[in-house]
Amino acid sequence: MSALGYYLERAGIATTGISLVREHTAQLQPPRSLWVSFPLGRPLGIPNDAEFQHAVIKAALELFEEASGPVLRDYPIDAPEVAIESAPACPVNFQRQSGSWQDRLASELALISPWYEIGLDKRAGRTLVGASTSHIHEILQRFGEDLDAHRIPADLKWFKASIEDAKTYYLEALSAEPGQYNARQLYRKLWHETELGRALGLFHAMFMDHPQRAGFARILLPRDALRRIDDTLS
Amino acid sequence: MVRLSDLPHDEQAHLTGKALPPLRPPVWTTPIEPLKNMRLALITTAGLHLRGDPLFEFADGTYRPIPNNTAPGDIIMSHSSVNFDRTGFSEDINLVFPVDRFRELLDQGMVGSLADFHYSFMGAGLEPQAFEKGAAQVAGLLKQDQVDAVFLTPV
Repeated sequence: MSALGYYLERAGIATTGISLVREHTAQLQPPRSLWVSFPLGRPLGIPNDAEFQHAVIKAALELFEEASGPVLRDYPIDAPEVAIESAPACPVNFQRQSGSWQDRLASELALISPWYEIGLDKRAGRTLVGASTSHIHEILQRFGEDLDAHRIPADLKWFKASIEDAKTYYLEALSAEPGQYNARQLYRKLWHETELGRALGLFHAMFMDHPQRAGFARILLPRDALRRIDDTLS
Repeated sequence: MVRLSDLPHDEQAHLTGKALPPLRPPVWTTPIEPLKNMRLALITTAGLHLRGDPLFEFADGTYRPIPNNTAPGDIIMSHSSVNFDRTGFSEDINLVFPVDRFRELLDQGMVGSLADFHYSFMGAGLEPQAFEKGAAQVAGLLKQDQVDAVFLTPV
């Protein structure tokens, strides 16, 4: 982000914007930045809170009034995390499935797909699923086939897009009901209670064991999930 | 509240592991117009693009245009990093790409106009210099669009 601000400004376009990692911005010194204490992934702070977002934007736009720079200003307001007790309860009661990976993933998909559809209604039809060219049924079927054969997927480009879609599908299903969710709770459920989380944990281990493909493992699981990976693998 | 010091040590180490020398020489462009007359574009490094556009690769310095009138449902994300929260963006596109907020500022007369095109990069796994070429190209496109200033959002 800092680099883009710098290069655009060098080309004569004035810039202002949000900084999420203050240490990076302080080192690179782009012309104008507003550092916010919000979690990574949430540069405007709180979803569906136009007033909060407008206040952040206003503070960043005010940096255009500065006479010289670089300017790195700290935004003084935090975005409080949603309390787990006040977040809607998870609509799906996940239970360990048995059988082959194909069967386990298919059973879980049958459980979760109605909630994805409900979430789609809540979001007025908007979904982030769609990076992959394949439907979720095909995605999980192919994941299951590879895991049952204990082999690394052959088409890594397809696999990268498909793991993105599968995770997004689950997260949108888990947050199908109206209300503000605790993001860490949603991810914890995904990684530690679902067959998909276990499947991706197993893929991660398989990639880590592969001398030429180990680098791919890091886009499978977040560092947060890796800290507890031993608990997730079957 | 999330500050770097609140994160686990390995998370902190990853985010601060590299020494990043200041971008030099210093640059500074003073806006010619007051905010209420400015034409603004949004640029994000969240790896957003239109449904059907080429996905961003593992490490990728290219960019994707996003027309100003794009419906939120037509925008998806193919960012390589798995170490940030996507659930907020699923709920509200404006959390990362605040196009509705800027339309409201336009309606209120707080900004002059919005660009015909906004742009998205994918900020992961590359040195700052890897964005120099793409940023120069986008700067040319922004000037063609008569854009005065840019609002930048990371992810």
